[in-house]
Amino acid sequence: MPQKITILGIGNLLLKDDGLGIHALHLLKERYEFPEGVELVDGGVLGLGLMGVLTESEYVIVLDSIKNGGSPGQLHRVQDPQILTRMRAKNSLHEIDFLETLSACELLGKRPRCVILGIEPKEIYQVDMELSKEVLSSMEPLIQLVIQELNALGIAPKERLSCV
Amino acid sequence: MSEKITIDPITRIEGHLRIEVEVANGKVVNAWSSGQMFRGLEIILRGRDPRDAPLITQRSCGVCTLVHYLSSVRAVEDAVKVKIPPNARIIRNLLHGAQFQHDHIVHFYHLHALDWVDIVSALKADPQKTAALADNVSNAPWGGTVYFKQVQQRLKTFVESGQLGPFNNGYWGHPAYLLPPEANLMAAAHYIEALRLQAKAAKMHAIFGAKNPHLQSLVVGGVTCVQDLNPDRIAEFLYLWKETQDFIKNVYIPDVLAVASFYKDWGKIGGTSNFLAWGDFPESDKEPDSLFMPRGVIMKRDLSKVKMAEQDKVVESVAHSWYKGSEALHPFKGVTDPELGEYDTKKKYSWFKAPRYEGEPCEVGPLARVLVAYAYGKKEIKETVDSVLKQLGLGADALFSTLGRTAARAIETLVIGQQMEKWIMELVENLKKGDKKIYQSWSMPDKGQGIGLNDVPRGSLGHWIEIEGGKIKNYQYVVPSTWNLGPRCAQNKPGPVEEALIGTPVADPKRPVEILRTVHSFDPCIACGVHVIDPESNQVYKIKVL
Repeated sequence: MPQKITILGIGNLLLKDDGLGIHALHLLKERYEFPEGVELVDGGVLGLGLMGVLTESEYVIVLDSIKNGGSPGQLHRVQDPQILTRMRAKNSLHEIDFLETLSACELLGKRPRCVILGIEPKEIYQVDMELSKEVLSSMEPLIQLVIQELNALGIAPKERLSCV
Repeated sequence: MSEKITIDPITRIEGHLRIEVEVANGKVVNAWSSGQMFRGLEIILRGRDPRDAPLITQRSCGVCTLVHYLSSVRAVEDAVKVKIPPNARIIRNLLHGAQFQHDHIVHFYHLHALDWVDIVSALKADPQKTAALADNVSNAPWGGTVYFKQVQQRLKTFVESGQLGPFNNGYWGHPAYLLPPEANLMAAAHYIEALRLQAKAAKMHAIFGAKNPHLQSLVVGGVTCVQDLNPDRIAEFLYLWKETQDFIKNVYIPDVLAVASFYKDWGKIGGTSNFLAWGDFPESDKEPDSLFMPRGVIMKRDLSKVKMAEQDKVVESVAHSWYKGSEALHPFKGVTDPELGEYDTKKKYSWFKAPRYEGEPCEVGPLARVLVAYAYGKKEIKETVDSVLKQLGLGADALFSTLGRTAARAIETLVIGQQMEKWIMELVENLKKGDKKIYQSWSMPDKGQGIGLNDVPRGSLGHWIEIEGGKIKNYQYVVPSTWNLGPRCAQNKPGPVEEALIGTPVADPKRPVEILRTVHSFDPCIACGVHVIDPESNQVYKIKVL
């Protein structure tokens, strides 16, 4: 079991579905209690500013919007060797984005193991703090995916008792 | 014969910027800067509680989270007429000072250095000679033949893995790269060390910022981090501050001098005419008098006529921007009404508005701040500037250039960093005296107008808020990159970057590294945000789809 696991939500909260990783992070925080060694971090669009968080983690579960030519709301999971090929083929608008930062960690010889979980966004250019319907309906499956991922690492977060 | 070059997008910046230049006889004769992203945050803020504005504007950019937060809080404070206690002012200065330390180091090493340093050439360097060179120019704590051999090996592995990563899109081998392989290797090693250091510098924010990485400790009326005002936390801050300050003194400044000594021609390229600084770091509640980095404006490079800058002399023109209307308006009257249009440099060609001060475009940022402070004769700045110029054998006119801009950034990093120690001590003294006050209560007026002016790492930032019925009626902000990268105005005066690019030599139009040098020297940051892992551009690689 990795000693230090970070669940990292990234994206821009102001740009509709781009912020879905942060929305998911808040849902996780509300609904579950996590054991020591699991940290939930709101990474926003900090890029290089996340190096500290990344280099100090052993395993990172990233939550983000992932465009993959699918239909809005579709779930995606990108794992390590694929992340690497993605970094090689990268042609993003942002020179210093998340993948770039991961690559900078590699340069320091401190890249954590990593999996990216996400949802195909519908709208990411519109200034709006609410998620689209399609993405909203995939939030629950995404949360379950995170829990499965943690279970596979031997971690079972406890569901908080809800007061109805 | 002239030729047009378009660079779209400019890489190693935040956001999407397009630069178009016209080159004749190997030099730029005309330039257009176009912001390719619409920032409509003003629209989202209307009708909300004024206290929401700081937390929402904080999210408008990944790099500038603190600074929008700060200016927005200050705008609301101005509108509700509350004065914050001295401790709150000091803590804000410390957080903001830490932002300068972090951002400027990242800018020089990770966003700008590769315009001057050829990574591929570093692979050919002799590690022993590199060690000798490094000993000679810097006081870095790491070095020696073995160290540089290891760095070189690491770079080699990295480059050979096909995973250029941060070194992608470089114009390696371009004749405009003038450093010998050994200087390239030294700089590459420091690039890696700076990656490590910046992660530490970022932690200064976590101490008084309540939450890393997004700060939460600023509120209208002061700060909230009372639990962190204890000797342990302050010592922790001091420790991180010192390590960062050592790096700036022993590595950053010497590296800038070493690189600059090979590129002295760039002391004549890339300059602009007018400079504006709102100033920052209030050392009492008297603003602007007590600002450590002073407020002022300089027109036509005339340092003998520095004047106080007044926010009511600012307007934004939309004549060449994709917005409705044609009148240049003060931010309090500002309207954000987008109008989609074609890219046409004769008509409209940018999402940026064009801010003007008394009708003139002004450069903002490190060079503007340093020039204003220099012109006022501010001791700390003047001494450091004169010493840098002397070491490079250049006159003060060389400041008006790409080289001057990059040197000014390093100079203010050092000077502001040094001043931070005084602020820490002042805080300690206050606490010793039993003054722990960090918040002043206030009440929301029905109506009010407020202005939050700051000078943040990238330049002059202003937030303007109008409150009515206890809600936001209008909100406008004019950010550094709008000043620097904005388009022409109604009078067809080019924006600062457009002006700065004129005269830039371009050896090879297909690989215009010289243009990147000047554009990057402004540290563009385009109220950014779109951040999606986007495999559309690399369809050859299949992604597992659930």
